[in-house]
Amino acid sequence: MEQLLASLGQNLFVLFGLLAVGAAGVMIFTKSAVHSVIGFLFSMLCVAGCFLALQAEFLGVAQLLVYAGGIVVLFLFVVMLVELTKYQEKGIFQTQAKFAVPLVGAGVLAFAGVFRGILFGPNAGQALVLKLGLEGATEHLGNAQAVSRGLFADFLLPFEILSVILLVALIGAIVLAKSERV
Amino acid sequence: MVSMNAVLLISFLLWSVGVAGVLIRRNALVILMCVELMLNAANLNLIAFARQAGTVNGQAFALLVMGFAAAEVAVGLALVVALYRKKGNIQVDEINLLKG
Repeated sequence: MEQLLASLGQNLFVLFGLLAVGAAGVMIFTKSAVHSVIGFLFSMLCVAGCFLALQAEFLGVAQLLVYAGGIVVLFLFVVMLVELTKYQEKGIFQTQAKFAVPLVGAGVLAFAGVFRGILFGPNAGQALVLKLGLEGATEHLGNAQAVSRGLFADFLLPFEILSVILLVALIGAIVLAKSERV
Repeated sequence: MVSMNAVLLISFLLWSVGVAGVLIRRNALVILMCVELMLNAANLNLIAFARQAGTVNGQAFALLVMGFAAAEVAVGLALVVALYRKKGNIQVDEINLLKG
């Protein structure tokens, strides 16, 4: 049973991760912008599943709320706002796409070589396995409490700076997007 | 129990799909989505390394990254709408105001 549960986490993570990569591929290769947004939504849902498989429950739920609930709706609104049909016939890819795709492919292959050499080569170290428990977290302390302790104790200044950044982004978005005659 | 190799591999694949999308697409909306994808790959790594070190600080920082991504998307979409008002399209290779 323990063995089954241990391999289940790994398998779920890999399943959700590969689904996320596939949905991201659909997102960048599909023609219609609405289909792109749907691919993005599916990819974000799968990344939330990955977070859950990594036992970051609070972040998984936050990912669902922020991305599936907020950002995807924003993207959909802008897709509806912007008329794109008359540019469809010019093609969806940049003119340098025929250089960019082999370049990224070569980068992926080179990194895969390094990755394989480090992880599976003759002097590969012991594979890291993620720990189950948290340091200083007791039984009754859930994931959300632990994260909030880290957030408000160790990252208080970045948290406050983030609130200012969000305010600036709010004002900037309104100023940028409002029509000029008002 | 998730092995670190799987996390690194998945996040690398997600990130490279994001880079490819930024490089090849002409639609500014899709480029913004690809940037979000790269941020998510980084978040995955943050959470995995925090889990490996046994602390929650990486998770807290991933939450900050998420908020930052939301701010970035708001400004980016406002820029897209402003560009559409000005130029009538959002294809990035037709935006060449500084070219002269």
